[in-house]
Amino acid sequence: MLLILLVFANQVELKAFDTPNDGGSSITLEWHPDTLFNSYVIFRSVDPEGNFEQICELSDRTTYFDTQVVGGEDYYYRVEARGRESAVSSYIVGPVRAFPQIFNTSRINIAVCIVVLFFAIIYYITRARRGQRLFIRKIPGITAVEEAIGRATEMGKPVLYVPGIMDIDEPETIASMSILGRVAEKTAEYGTPLYVPTSKAMVMSMAQQVVKEASIRVGRPDWFNIDNVRYLTDDQFGYVSAVDGIMVREKPATNFYLGKFYAESLILAETGFSTGAIQIAGTALPDQLPFFVAACDYTLLGEELYAASAYLSQEPVQLGSLKGQDVGKLIFVIVVILGVLDRLVGFDILYNLFNTAQQ
Amino acid sequence: MKGKEPKRILATDCGSTTTKAILIEKRGDEYRLIVRGEAPTTVEAPFEDVTKGVLNAVMEVEELSKVKILDGEEIIKTVKDGEGVDFYVSTSSAGGGLQMMVAGVVLTMTAESAARAALGAGAIVMDVIASNDGRLPHQKIERIRNLRPDMILLSGGIDGGTVSHVVELAELIKAADPRPRFGVGYQLPVIYAGNKDAREIILKTLKENTALVVVENIRPVLERENLNPARHKIHDQFMEHVMAHAPGYKTLMTKTDVPIMPTPGAVGLLVETVAKNEKISVIGVDIGGATTDVFSVFQEIFNRTVSANLGMSYSISNVLAESGIANIVRWLPMEIDERDLRNRIRNKMIRPTTIPHTLEDLKIEQAIAREALRLAFEQHKSMAVGLKGIQQERTISDAFSQSMTGETLIDLMGLNLLIGSGGILSHAPRRNQAALMMIDAFLPEGITRLAVDSIFMMPHLGVLSTVHEKSATEVFNKDCLVPLGTCIAPVGEGKEGASVLKMDIDRGNGKVEEHSAKYGEITLIPLGIEEEATVTIHPEKGFDIGDGRGKEIQTTLRGGMVGLILDCRGRPFRLPEDKRKRIASINNWFAATDLYPH
Repeated sequence: MLLILLVFANQVELKAFDTPNDGGSSITLEWHPDTLFNSYVIFRSVDPEGNFEQICELSDRTTYFDTQVVGGEDYYYRVEARGRESAVSSYIVGPVRAFPQIFNTSRINIAVCIVVLFFAIIYYITRARRGQRLFIRKIPGITAVEEAIGRATEMGKPVLYVPGIMDIDEPETIASMSILGRVAEKTAEYGTPLYVPTSKAMVMSMAQQVVKEASIRVGRPDWFNIDNVRYLTDDQFGYVSAVDGIMVREKPATNFYLGKFYAESLILAETGFSTGAIQIAGTALPDQLPFFVAACDYTLLGEELYAASAYLSQEPVQLGSLKGQDVGKLIFVIVVILGVLDRLVGFDILYNLFNTAQQ
Repeated sequence: MKGKEPKRILATDCGSTTTKAILIEKRGDEYRLIVRGEAPTTVEAPFEDVTKGVLNAVMEVEELSKVKILDGEEIIKTVKDGEGVDFYVSTSSAGGGLQMMVAGVVLTMTAESAARAALGAGAIVMDVIASNDGRLPHQKIERIRNLRPDMILLSGGIDGGTVSHVVELAELIKAADPRPRFGVGYQLPVIYAGNKDAREIILKTLKENTALVVVENIRPVLERENLNPARHKIHDQFMEHVMAHAPGYKTLMTKTDVPIMPTPGAVGLLVETVAKNEKISVIGVDIGGATTDVFSVFQEIFNRTVSANLGMSYSISNVLAESGIANIVRWLPMEIDERDLRNRIRNKMIRPTTIPHTLEDLKIEQAIAREALRLAFEQHKSMAVGLKGIQQERTISDAFSQSMTGETLIDLMGLNLLIGSGGILSHAPRRNQAALMMIDAFLPEGITRLAVDSIFMMPHLGVLSTVHEKSATEVFNKDCLVPLGTCIAPVGEGKEGASVLKMDIDRGNGKVEEHSAKYGEITLIPLGIEEEATVTIHPEKGFDIGDGRGKEIQTTLRGGMVGLILDCRGRPFRLPEDKRKRIASINNWFAATDLYPH
């Protein structure tokens, strides 16, 4: 009897509450540990007077997330602490109800980051719209576009544009279409033929539209030839063979490889090099970049492919977005460096600040 | 003509306002300038005969040298009984010089090459027409018709390249049916230097309306330029068509032993010859009243640009407009009211022949000259570039530093000789002023020799070099060039007053002088004309004299009228932003170089 009294005197009461920052599908139970006991059995009921059903037994924890609950319904809990020689039960706690939260407060740090990024983008878009010049690092591959098309013009040869082998749902293909618009504008201005072989039907349709619109924009609708933007095959190496064939037969003076590429990258770039063409490549796949760098005149590295469309268009919204994102990335890089230093010297301020996102 | 050892040579340069004649004579084993005479140019009314001015200038030479050169209106050829000359050569920039229009397919490729060919031949390029110049066909036609050039150079397409684009350009010229500036009844000379496959069609298109001549392609492949055939043809056409129809030139042409050259073409030829003979990189500048010409030879490639709107009298207001008042004021060692400065500049424009009357006027004029030279050099740097549109070879190490084609050829660290010409430089009251003007405008890096053209005879010597290189080179070195000295400008930035370099000077007299220089200072070390010194320069860490940061250099330096100039103001050069500090710095530099009387 004395032992039981001691146990209850030591025992902190069970707490049950709705799990914060979730979608309303869990209830959290917490109780204090006691060295006299080596396991805790949790019971749940929908009725304080009714039958309590054992839902689990824990040996080394004093917190339990009950995820087998229905949101909006009342539940009652009790915990039974069991030792070698004794066992005690807590009071019945309840009713507790699980419900969803609108805000996940543990993600406030992320919200702050997004707000900072958002305002940075808005700020730079506003500046760009006011006509202020936003500095964007010169991307050699993009700066060389006009020169490459000029070369084809002087040589009286066509320009070849390969938008990758993936479909239109790939971000790289979308970025490629944006650059294609600019390339098409320039080739139309120069009156130089532009070949766009595609490996996906949807990409072909979009490329045709992009090239047609570009030719209209520069006042050369007569230049657009729908047969020059064509579908070859979905098969990876069948497509590569066909494109290589165009290179060898037509000897384009300028080749663009912008989009998503896999094993075919080196085959295309090497064939293009052997025909004496100026080649500009760009992909976000790190595995393929070394091949392009070695075999092409200019290569857009990773994100440069996405930055290229803003760089080319000089359109305020795109420029502002690019600049704002850069500011965001700069902040993140600084935070990462500070975080590493923070941990190295034994402080955990930044670590804890961002670790809440992991909970 | 070549190979003949002349005893006496007469050379004239018919400028827009003055005709200058020089007499060169063989004295002992060497050729030297004997006298120089000048007279107003008579190409315009009431005379309308360029030979009158030439004869007047030659008569002055006769009087000064006491040598009979003229027999009536004829020049006595071959030296006999102490009379006459062996050669007579001439250049001309009268009537605005040679004004050309060039056309090419792509603005930065064949059109740029065509512009380089025309500029190198001594022309002023009035406009560049290209397929991608952003103008509509009717605008191009209107432009060709309105400009009335002396000549058109048409290029485009590599051999075997595009035909349609270059034919389109020819059709524009045909449609414009341009009339030449001089002469009413003759056809405009057009030089075709493009794709050889298009020659027949070009002939069919332009033969009837123009005096068409065909030369080799200036860009047979994109990787190589072939400018000389076009340049030579420009000279021929200049003589045949332009000069032949200018007042009095037909007569003058019969008097000269070699074809008359455009003045800037002759200067360029001389700069090119000097660079080739001495195997050095050279920049030459000729700053005139209306235009400023810049010539350069780097990596054995010659380039010339003419800034047709930068000059010290007619174009002085344009210098103000292009540079902005702040950029002129920054070179002044005193405070000045902006309105007063503007008025002085405008006065100079409407009274172009006036010269500075006060020390303040001189300082202002030299400040403007610094800006005119700087702007002309900026233009030159953008034109003197490598070929664009050529294939690059890369390795994986180039991933993050992908160099572009078309980078400027101007390498200030590799520059060996900087030559200044034109009134403001050649006739500066003190040679130190010319030296500092050139240093401030061009900002040479490392070790650079400085010189000025004493009496503007580079055009004469340029045309002379085509017929007798020895005499031209000897006179150039002994009488034409005035060596100013050598500028030593370390590249790097530091803190005001910090040590930049230490220098040991061995003048060959058994003593070694030790000098040191601090950041932000200019130091003048005397070293006279025809003196040389062996110097060892120890730059501090972070400063480069030419062999890399902190790397020591031992070399022999030549002296001059100014001496050795240690310019430790840093490269890139920055003037203090604070007005007081700037004025104090400028005054310190001017005092250190003994620029003006105290």
